[in-house]
Amino acid sequence: MTPRISYFEASARKRINGIVDPGTFREILPPEDRRVSPHLGLFDAPVSFDDGAIIGEATVDGKPVFLFAQEGKFRGGSLGEVHASKMIGLLQRAALKKPSAVIGLFDSGGVRLEEANAGEIGATEIVRAIFETQAAGVPVIGLIGGSCGCFGGASIISCCCDTLIGSEEGRLSVSGPEVIETIMGVEAFDSRDKALVWRTTGGKNRFLFGKLARLVSDHIPDFRSAVIDVLAPRQPDSTASLRKDLASLQSRLDTYGKDTDARQIWKQMGLDAAKVPEMTPAELAAAAKKS
Amino acid sequence: MELNDLLNSFFPDGHSVAVDGDLLCGEATLGGETVAVLGTTNHAFIGAREALVITDHLLSIVENTPGRPIIMLVDNSGQRMALNEELLVLPEYISTLLKTQQLARSTGSKLIALLYGPAIAGGFIAFGMLADRIIAVPGAEPSVMKLEAISRVTKMPLEKLEDLAKTVSVFAPGCDNFFKMGGVYEVWSDRFSEQLSKLLATDVSRDLRAHLGRERGGRACAQDVIDDVVRA
Repeated sequence: MTPRISYFEASARKRINGIVDPGTFREILPPEDRRVSPHLGLFDAPVSFDDGAIIGEATVDGKPVFLFAQEGKFRGGSLGEVHASKMIGLLQRAALKKPSAVIGLFDSGGVRLEEANAGEIGATEIVRAIFETQAAGVPVIGLIGGSCGCFGGASIISCCCDTLIGSEEGRLSVSGPEVIETIMGVEAFDSRDKALVWRTTGGKNRFLFGKLARLVSDHIPDFRSAVIDVLAPRQPDSTASLRKDLASLQSRLDTYGKDTDARQIWKQMGLDAAKVPEMTPAELAAAAKKS
Repeated sequence: MELNDLLNSFFPDGHSVAVDGDLLCGEATLGGETVAVLGTTNHAFIGAREALVITDHLLSIVENTPGRPIIMLVDNSGQRMALNEELLVLPEYISTLLKTQQLARSTGSKLIALLYGPAIAGGFIAFGMLADRIIAVPGAEPSVMKLEAISRVTKMPLEKLEDLAKTVSVFAPGCDNFFKMGGVYEVWSDRFSEQLSKLLATDVSRDLRAHLGRERGGRACAQDVIDDVVRA
């Protein structure tokens, strides 16, 4: 048995190196180029030579891919001006060079508040760039499993990807639990209740709703296998495909819209709600298929 | 601007915009042509239900009148913050709305967002920021987070943030700041109908925001970083 190599705990560069074919990653605008945030200094905040975004080219299973990875250990993987622009540039480059896919390793609390306007505008420039890359025929695959999860603007960006792969640890939601608690009160969301946070925003719930195409364990090689598994040409959106998505989202809202705990949802889905948190990804996939 | 004033000043030749709760939808005549109008009012929160209704309206436009210009009236207080919205995967509801805006664009519709009230964070991303051009009219208040909340989250003293906000446009709320960042294309205060007709006659296909951010000095390095990565 191979020892577990935690995706959750790894740095962004370690994750990239575990996803791509060994030795193939070529970083674009590496730390030596020192493209630091021009704004953080005004707030007496430290800068990073890569601004928390690592981008470049590599192969996966022999196929050329472009990658971006957010470093959660630098300011929560937040979207600042340089950080977002590196992702936009990579996506625009992909639209021109047409690799087999762009792979995005999300690990972000969302927009960087010290650069809030640049981060928010940047988030939508990234979305626009994803759409244009997809229109050029290049699929965009997102991975979620880092310690900062995928929140705020980053959550919306990730859901624009063609395919999402995540672990149970990979939390995904627009407003983070702490933000909901701060703004709406502890009775709206108790962010210290970790089990509640995982049930609500964690990968299992997102997998059962079909938003994660693959649920994997917190092991970098499992993320790599899943990426290889989903590497395929993309199906462009059409009125028919979006009508189908709309109907499915409407039915989800009608069926589960009054639920206040994922356990109610899992029970309605025909699962043993008490057992879901303990199930392995394979067990959950099997149970979901049966129910 | 009040919704009725806005509609009357932009569409003096008539409109059939109907308001249903916080959502609105309809058609208007502009320079002899028909445009689709949709959006929100009453400082709406954008949750799963709102995203679905707007997505449905957009799909109907693409299905029935492809290529028709779409005027998006933006007035929202952000995404609805609630546990049950997030349980249902709110970002997927928003991304479906964004994909539909992109479908409308790719089938020939020009999307123009008119900000006439608050436009906040995830609500502004969901509806407004993916338009081809974003125009601010009186009343527009684009923002990510109030300075008080930024202060709470970042633990920086509010006085320091208020001081910085006087000279730094990158983080503080407001039209002028979003304009300098390239996030607002133009600010209009009169001749609304005429300016909208003129804008619709231009090529709006390219996302110019990073370029404008550089030109206006609010985002000095975004476009340079993008260019360097593309050329690397």
